[in-house]
Amino acid sequence: MSFAPYIIVGLILLIIPPFVHADIQLMLAKFLAFAVFAIGYNLVFGYLGLLSLGHGVYFGAGGYTVALLQYHLDIDSFWIAMPLAIVIAALLAAALGPIVLRSTGMYFLLLTFALGELFYSIAWHWPFMNVIGVGGEMGMRGITGIMYPDLNIPGLTLTSTSFYYFIFVGFVICYILLYRITNSPFGHALVGIRESEPRMQALGYNTWRYKYIAFIISAGFSGVGGAMFAWNNTIIDPSHFAVGTSFLPMVMSIIGGSKILFGPVIGALIVIFAEYFASITVRARWPLILGGIFVASVMFARAGIGVYLARLWEKVRVRYGNTKG
Amino acid sequence: MEILRVENLSKSFGGVHAVNDVSFSVEVGERLAVIGPNGAGKTTLFNLINGQLRPTAGRIYFCGQDITKMLTHQRAHAGQGRSFQLTSLFLDLTVFENALLALNGTKPSRYQVLRPITGYEDLMAKAEETLKAAALWEQKDELVKNISYGEQRRLEIALTTVLSDLRLLLLDEPSCGLTGAESADIIEMIRKLGRDITVLLVAHDMDLVFGVAERIMVLHYGEIIADGEPEEIQASPMVKEIYMGSEEDTGSARAS
Repeated sequence: MSFAPYIIVGLILLIIPPFVHADIQLMLAKFLAFAVFAIGYNLVFGYLGLLSLGHGVYFGAGGYTVALLQYHLDIDSFWIAMPLAIVIAALLAAALGPIVLRSTGMYFLLLTFALGELFYSIAWHWPFMNVIGVGGEMGMRGITGIMYPDLNIPGLTLTSTSFYYFIFVGFVICYILLYRITNSPFGHALVGIRESEPRMQALGYNTWRYKYIAFIISAGFSGVGGAMFAWNNTIIDPSHFAVGTSFLPMVMSIIGGSKILFGPVIGALIVIFAEYFASITVRARWPLILGGIFVASVMFARAGIGVYLARLWEKVRVRYGNTKG
Repeated sequence: MEILRVENLSKSFGGVHAVNDVSFSVEVGERLAVIGPNGAGKTTLFNLINGQLRPTAGRIYFCGQDITKMLTHQRAHAGQGRSFQLTSLFLDLTVFENALLALNGTKPSRYQVLRPITGYEDLMAKAEETLKAAALWEQKDELVKNISYGEQRRLEIALTTVLSDLRLLLLDEPSCGLTGAESADIIEMIRKLGRDITVLLVAHDMDLVFGVAERIMVLHYGEIIADGEPEEIQASPMVKEIYMGSEEDTGSARAS
């Protein structure tokens, strides 16, 4: 295992922000929030092999948790908001898991998709949601003016630069956690289930329990990503429950490579950067550009761009004889 | 001592009685082969014993315990190891990873979420030992889909026998599609097993059946039509007529 690429990328992400415009800091923080969302999502998609189109529910739940805490209770402490965002996303997954995990393949995709749209519909059309501030067609379209969290460290108020570093630390923690999870016996068992569930059962694995726990862990990370996103974006609305959000981590995982841990991070980088440059040039053409990137990556980089980057790194290492990396 | 008892077991798929009112029992250490023409219900019987399918009627007892309603993974913990007819190894994983997954299925560490799997030294050592015994250590870093079919079958049998507390081994066509020499390896592997392990196998390969089995059960349209020692079965005119059939039939049965 070579850590050099991690150190290089980490240094770039650490050094650049103070020297760039606030808009780019915002974009980098958004990238990290989506990277957390995507690697969490990929635990179910790439490792377990179940294509979910409903992770927006957990992303939105994380985002709305921090937003509603600020809006109604005036609580902006990170130490309350973040754990609650994780718990609520995980509890939702614990409740919905038994419904969707009965199926696999196309049926899993359709069930998760349907539940996501159901959440979006409720948030958007039910007048009660408007009353409690979630949003909806009747009045306010979401929660705006979400502020940076309070870290309860005396003398520290987050600015856009320090908030970026705060998100960066969060991303690194999530990445290390998922690195450990995917290398553990549990993570290996998920891959085994993806490859052959009947064989895993015959070997003594309670495959249902693995799928259920993985689904909940994945939703927990989605909640973290949603909370990071809400703080950074300052606005959250019901569309964040819907398929438009849910399909982003899938696209990121496929573009970057779903069979490797850092694949979705590469995918998130590409998608969020492209979105940013589209937004300052041809804003209305963004879906077309995203579609183009997706099709091109599936056609020319089937295994995911991350896999090719890893191979390239391998070549560089061999060429320069630095076997220790 | 009895290890497995099946009582009036039936399984129907729609109107088809794949297994029809089957009863038999197996003693500890026995080598029992289940033979019969294609579609006789042999694999269905295995799926019922190992829990992939639920019986329509009847009961299954394993080590004196009623396991009819037990799930497959619980049966593995009770001591049932099973190989599948079509190789069901994890094709996109390496030989070594396959060994780790097979060894870890009944260990408490299988739920460990944060500790790297490579940190379990006993597991690593056992995987090495198992692969060396199966002469597959050289290929440990190969993806399973890239090793030969004979090696895949050997790996599968080796990894089925490493189940901790293995008592009953269910082998579904272990030598299917293999050459004579490869098949001989499999026979050797089964012969080496200790007498505390009971072996139940389904096979078309008569070399394997007569090379391993001490008792043969013939299944035909989901019913047991003969059950006895190999010589008896070989001599039985009814079995000859139904199963062995004419020369051409035997040929096609072997080829499958």
